[in-house]
Amino acid sequence: MRYDVTTGPLDARELEAAVAHPGAGAICTFTGIVRDNSRGQSVTHLDYEAYAEMAVPQMRKIGDDIKQRWPGARVAMAHRTGHLEVGEASVVVCVSAPHREEAIAACKWGIDTLKDSVPIWKKEHAADGSYWIEGDATKPVANP
Amino acid sequence: MAVAIGVRVRFFARLREQAGVEDESLQVPVGSTLADVYDTLRTGHTALEPDRNSVRAALNQEFVDWATKVSDGDEIAFIPPVSGGGPDAL
Repeated sequence: MRYDVTTGPLDARELEAAVAHPGAGAICTFTGIVRDNSRGQSVTHLDYEAYAEMAVPQMRKIGDDIKQRWPGARVAMAHRTGHLEVGEASVVVCVSAPHREEAIAACKWGIDTLKDSVPIWKKEHAADGSYWIEGDATKPVANP
Repeated sequence: MAVAIGVRVRFFARLREQAGVEDESLQVPVGSTLADVYDTLRTGHTALEPDRNSVRAALNQEFVDWATKVSDGDEIAFIPPVSGGGPDAL
């Protein structure tokens, strides 16, 4: 199992290799990509900030929950922090399982839970200014 | 008997910008809760989010209730909602 918070580019193939094993008939990979628009505005770039000492254990907890809920699953997760350009990968969740149903369901649950509970924040730099994205809410930056 | 305990508080994202610092060490009375620590910090950092319900507290890298008491040497973090969910989703 592998859980990373890193400033370097993410390599989904590397995470897939980390979860692959002869008993796994399926690997499902979710890759989150920086999109060029948000809230009807064009986005120039993003900044991600993490509480790394807590984010990695929280990811491990999600991975352990996945292994409980989907026996036989193996999990790898990585989140990038710092400055990201449009088109770059910000997060990768990889789950291997004996069959595709478990792999797909566990991967979806993994990314949904990560987005809700892992302390990593996104600051969006868009045409109308810079905002912290907090769930459905946007909060202006205190010192843009 | 000690009358005060030392804790380290870390701020992230919007709260870091509001506080103007990444971390701060402070002394609080024995028996203080995380809510007490936050309220104490707000007196020194008046820009800090006034609605505590929109913030979550973490003690030594675990999410905990605001009523949790702090101990000497604890690391506290006050955490704004993360990008994919509000405080209710955490």
